[in-house]
Amino acid sequence: MINSGKKLMTGLAGLLFCCLVAVSCYATDFFPETIEMNVLTDLYGGVVFDHDLHVMITEGCAVCHHHTTGTPVVDSYCAKCHADEGPVETVSCQGCHTLEPVTAQSMREQRDVYRYHDDKPDLKAAYHLSCLGCHMEFGAPAGCQDCHARTEAGDAFFRSGQFAPAGSAVGPAH
Amino acid sequence: MSKITRRKFLAGSVAGSAAIAMAPTKKAFGANLEGFPDGMGVLVDLTRCVGCRSCEAACNKEQKLPEPDKSFDDFSVFDERPHGEHRRPTEKTYTVVNRYDQTKTEPVYRKIQCNHCNEPACLTSCFVNAYKKTPEGAVIYNDKVCVGCRNCMIACPFNIPAFSYSSALNPIIKKCIFCYDTRLKDGQVPACVESCPQQVMLFGKRKELIRVAHARIRRSPGKYVDHLYGENEVGGTGWLYLSAVPFKEAGFNVSLPNEPIINNVKDFLAIVPMVLAIWPALFTGFHLLSTKGKSHGHGEGHSHEEQEEH
Amino acid sequence: MKKLAENGIQPHDAEMKSDGRKWSLMEKLLLGLTLDQYLQQVVRNKFNWLLALIFAIGIPLIVYRFIFGLGSVTHSSYDYPWGLLLGFGLFCMVPLSASGFMLGTSVELFGRHDFEPIERLALLNGLLGYLFAVVYLLVDLGQPWRLAYPMVYSFGPAAVLFLVGWHVATYLSVQLAEVSTAFFEWIGFRRGYEFIRKGTVGLTVAGVILSTLHQGALGALFVYAPGKVHPLWYSASFQWIHFFVSSIPAGLCMVICVSTVVIYTMKWRCDQRFIDNLDRITISLAKGAAMGLITYLFIKFLAVAHDNEWAYLTTGWGLWWLIEIGFGVILPLILLSIGIHHKNVNLCRIGALVTVLGVLLNRLNTSLITFNWHLYQEVPHILEVIISITIFAIYIMTYRFILNRLPILYQFKSRADA
Repeated sequence: MINSGKKLMTGLAGLLFCCLVAVSCYATDFFPETIEMNVLTDLYGGVVFDHDLHVMITEGCAVCHHHTTGTPVVDSYCAKCHADEGPVETVSCQGCHTLEPVTAQSMREQRDVYRYHDDKPDLKAAYHLSCLGCHMEFGAPAGCQDCHARTEAGDAFFRSGQFAPAGSAVGPAH
Repeated sequence: MSKITRRKFLAGSVAGSAAIAMAPTKKAFGANLEGFPDGMGVLVDLTRCVGCRSCEAACNKEQKLPEPDKSFDDFSVFDERPHGEHRRPTEKTYTVVNRYDQTKTEPVYRKIQCNHCNEPACLTSCFVNAYKKTPEGAVIYNDKVCVGCRNCMIACPFNIPAFSYSSALNPIIKKCIFCYDTRLKDGQVPACVESCPQQVMLFGKRKELIRVAHARIRRSPGKYVDHLYGENEVGGTGWLYLSAVPFKEAGFNVSLPNEPIINNVKDFLAIVPMVLAIWPALFTGFHLLSTKGKSHGHGEGHSHEEQEEH
Repeated sequence: MKKLAENGIQPHDAEMKSDGRKWSLMEKLLLGLTLDQYLQQVVRNKFNWLLALIFAIGIPLIVYRFIFGLGSVTHSSYDYPWGLLLGFGLFCMVPLSASGFMLGTSVELFGRHDFEPIERLALLNGLLGYLFAVVYLLVDLGQPWRLAYPMVYSFGPAAVLFLVGWHVATYLSVQLAEVSTAFFEWIGFRRGYEFIRKGTVGLTVAGVILSTLHQGALGALFVYAPGKVHPLWYSASFQWIHFFVSSIPAGLCMVICVSTVVIYTMKWRCDQRFIDNLDRITISLAKGAAMGLITYLFIKFLAVAHDNEWAYLTTGWGLWWLIEIGFGVILPLILLSIGIHHKNVNLCRIGALVTVLGVLLNRLNTSLITFNWHLYQEVPHILEVIISITIFAIYIMTYRFILNRLPILYQFKSRADA
């Protein structure tokens, strides 16, 4: 089932990668109000990300966008090379973070091109690591279903809702 | 390499001792104990784990395990303390995530499953050779020969193997097999690793994972404890752990030796062929010395009276 | 039986009846009594009532365990995979059965024929102890019908348990052969008897080898669990020799205990040679046990020194260790020494009982009590306790059944003697 889910995801990804314009923001003063993140849906539905809101409440673009937006770099690791760089062409998450799960092998194969980008998480992890870290730190909603609704496949996977084990209380919202 | 030779010699001499009664077949030498150079492993970065239990759900589905007691999105399991301890893998769950509350920082979550040792204690303790360390790095077992002696549960330094006590007719050892049958042998990522939203786990060759892990420690000074758990513990494990808090605080056993468990037993295994070789001559010699020149009434029926009283 | 003996009834003890006819097998089984007499004495014996009570509860439980699995009678602990059934049944029964090879070695190899009156009791004690250790094992194994797998089907020769399995199996055969001489006498199969007697030295040497190795191997099984067994009870280098050396006083003292029970409850079955020699032999066995104990005491401290574990002695576990050593080794050593010095047989017997209890405590400490000292303490399930008691009761019954019949405590009067 997970394999078929994976194929489904890959197929969806190919389709959506073409359809969805990889959010094109070449200048720091131009960005979309919302971003629909739905290239990885399987157990959960997509997320409509309120970009506007996050722009207002975060300290700067670099909190999420590393060095790509041309704003002052926050992460000291990125700053070693990219401290004084202008914006780059690709700023969307999926522009750099791959849909394919990262393994040590895939990391090795990419190392020659991006020498210091060799421990880069895949897209799913990039989203979650980026979002959840702040959400938990600042007490923002951090439950799974606070951001994306779980699908029926997800209910079955987690043995929750209608698939909850007999005799157990239905688990709290995830 | 000398280690391997010695171990093979040991296994051989022990087998030789068994041969006194009956010669074992070639299969007796099948135990493959040396680490495989291209063995796979998983690097677990505890700083990323948020305790969502997706890996538990994925394992349950992949391994077709029985229905859990509670939904996998029920976080009350983190407060369960069976026997006053954190949860551990059981016959129904090959992996569990536990929460370890910290005094100074946020709680730490840790996934527990078989660590797939380079020199597994379970394997070396199994008297029917049910366990096998595959070249891919998995420690798997043959449930067709498991006698249910549970010696592997005694031997496992991580308390991983469970036993299906509830079964009357076919109770066997149950543990994580690295998704060997369904994934690993085809080079695929294990189900739990794939399911993780936070990429807590990185799948790859153990050798490479060690490099990645040390690079992470170097790159983020102060973020991690400067130790890769499993790099050396009990001879090295396929699953490796990075942590921000001291490993003891995350429930790890930090008193394990760096030597494989089997090394402790070698002292004894070494004396086995010696006893077998020396005792017969020694005791027959004692016998001859003690009874020299005395009548010895064997074959005389009930002849105790004929023998001298000392 | 005592009352019957007072009434002048002679139990079966010779190949021929006094009138020169052969005893039939049925008569032999009934000890030479009529069926009525036999049943009367069975019912009269209060101990049989206790056994009956234990069996009435325990035997159905054993059946229950095989129908519903181990989980139905144990706590199904993953952390304590070996419970009371093995902690007591295997790890205690085996050292208490070391008597077979000790006395066999003394009599047959070292020519100490002064021990002969008790040799067969010691051999039987060994055989039955091992046999019932295997019975406990069969009840505890998940798949007892696969017990022979390590012998014939799938070999794990580098595992300590493989050695234990092989050695216990071969040693059981050796002991069976050693005890079979008594059986052949009893059944009247002289050629079998003579055939086995010819191989005595070989069998005894095999017995010493196998005993050295598997008594030690039982200790080595716990060497797989550093960190689980408390360091004071764990010694990578010396565990096997601790188990082996302590099995020597354990086996000798078990024979003293059994012979004491026998002389008080089954005197009718003992012949004059056994009765006359028992006090002297008890003192001699006590000497051997005391030597074993003092060696054991020394190497126990040697292990603490070797691994530099002195600091543990000041902890609670250290106190428990000192209690075990004090009660199980030093106290019996004192009792036995005084008993030997003053030729006080009863003191030696008390010392022997304490030694046996001390070895039991050591084995239970290693396998159950200090095992997982970092974790919680497993308390065996009540049903597991009952099953353990039941198997022990079957052991006692079998022991008595054989002692009553085979020429263990008495010398069989063959046709030539009559």
